Amino acid sequence: MREAPFTSLSRGGEGRSTRLARAALMLVSGLVLLVISPMAFGEAPPPDYRVIVHPGRPDTRVSREFVANALLKNITRWSNDEAIRPADQRVDSAVRRTFSERVLKRSVQAVKTYWQQRIFSGRGVPPPELESDEAIVRYVENNPGALGYISGTAAAGKTKVLAVTH
Amino acid sequence: VFCLVFAPARADAADEGSNPLGVEVHGFVSQGFMLSSRVNYLTHSRRGNFEFTEVGLNVTKSIGDRLSVGMQLFARDLGTIGNYRPQFDWFYLDYRFKDWLGLRAGRTKLPFGLYNEQSDIDSARVPILLPQSVYSITSRDFLLAQTGFELYGYVPLGPVGAFDYRLYGGTIFIESTTFASPDAHVNDIDVPYLAGGRALWRTPLDGLTVGGSLQLLKLDIDYTVSDAFVEGLKAREIVGPDFGNRLTYKIPAVLWVGSLEYAAHDVTLAAEYSRWRTESRIRPVIPIYPDSDQTATRWYVMGSYRAATWVSPGAYYAVWQNGVAGPNTRNKYQQDLAVTARFDVTPNWLWKLEGHYMRGTAALRSALNANTSTATLPREWTVLMVKTTAYF
Repeated sequence: MREAPFTSLSRGGEGRSTRLARAALMLVSGLVLLVISPMAFGEAPPPDYRVIVHPGRPDTRVSREFVANALLKNITRWSNDEAIRPADQRVDSAVRRTFSERVLKRSVQAVKTYWQQRIFSGRGVPPPELESDEAIVRYVENNPGALGYISGTAAAGKTKVLAVTH
Repeated sequence: VFCLVFAPARADAADEGSNPLGVEVHGFVSQGFMLSSRVNYLTHSRRGNFEFTEVGLNVTKSIGDRLSVGMQLFARDLGTIGNYRPQFDWFYLDYRFKDWLGLRAGRTKLPFGLYNEQSDIDSARVPILLPQSVYSITSRDFLLAQTGFELYGYVPLGPVGAFDYRLYGGTIFIESTTFASPDAHVNDIDVPYLAGGRALWRTPLDGLTVGGSLQLLKLDIDYTVSDAFVEGLKAREIVGPDFGNRLTYKIPAVLWVGSLEYAAHDVTLAAEYSRWRTESRIRPVIPIYPDSDQTATRWYVMGSYRAATWVSPGAYYAVWQNGVAGPNTRNKYQQDLAVTARFDVTPNWLWKLEGHYMRGTAALRSALNANTSTATLPREWTVLMVKTTAYF
């Protein structure tokens, strides 16, 4: 007795391959659409964070390593010998979590431990931790040589937003 | 101190206007408990002991962009060590000419290995005790800090990472009780030289550091030995009739350590291998105490992981071998398997729990164990520790 076509399709090897191929095609199409749709509509997703500096700084881009070293105070001078005045976000802020993992390559807790080591061995103190994006912007606007970071959607005020190269 | 620790979370956050003088004040208070089996370790720990306290308070201030000054007062009690006597843990004036060249003068912590500078800082690590094979609490007098000068710098190397160096020279001050014994009074301890350095290569692989440290020092200890001791030597004709009470004990030493650390995201893995070569010379010569050279091999592997914001388990295995192993030489080695956990209760308060399984007696002291020779103390023993620290 012959089986109904749909039965053969659901059990046969060729039928399963076809179904998998169709599902894969849909998945890939979906991913492509997901990626290109904001571009097609001119809506690039906002970055998770933006690095800002005092408006008087001539720089337009900076490397991730430089930003990390400046926040950790391994590097304390800009290329023109001006002092870097870094500022950090609150420990419990989402932007700090993202920034720590992506730029410093450590968790917020690990960075905190790093500063405990520095503080109690007399090797330095952490940058000031400010309350909000607005406070960071004010600090950077008012301190020549300042460097900070804010949420991707926050207003940067009169500060200069730098491109970060990875 | 506790008011500052338990103040609202912003107490440690400097805002634009909250620190107009630019003076940073930080501190910590630690209290521990130690319980050991079969032997007393570091303190009279067999029945449980709370003599495991550390307190520190520091003040630092930047004067302009390049000059800074600072000092830390520290007191501790660990069995017979410390007894709450406050002392300057470090003090300095620091001038940073460039990122690659800074000069520091004063009493500075010695950069020996990855963690020597943190040996007093409970909040800066997961374990209660750093691996004692390399960071021995009982060697704190020699290894913690020096008074003199230091050159340091950080040199970015572009695609090959960065180079971090420290070079120092000066002296150390050692309490005379460190080398005292019932038959010998210490008149003076002189350190003719102390010099060393550390170089760390921050590799392009984020979190991976490779380094090496070297330290050279010499101790000259001037003793007055007891009349009974001298008469005993004369009676056995070990020394001549004109032998006096004054002795000089000279100990030149060379210490080095190779270091490897991977610290990225929530993981920290570290391994260090060290050799300490010490010579002993007593003048005038006493034949039963001949000149000797000894090389100690010390190493450990350690790992920790921040499983959640509030808990970080860790473990290490540390080995310390003095001279050549042989039969009945349990006091020549120490093997330490430690399991530890750190619990961060609040951003400024933590608890730690730690267990050690020990093999060997090199880390033990006869004086804490009814003057029993360390060669005959139990070879296997355990330690349980609990510690809490508040810091700001």
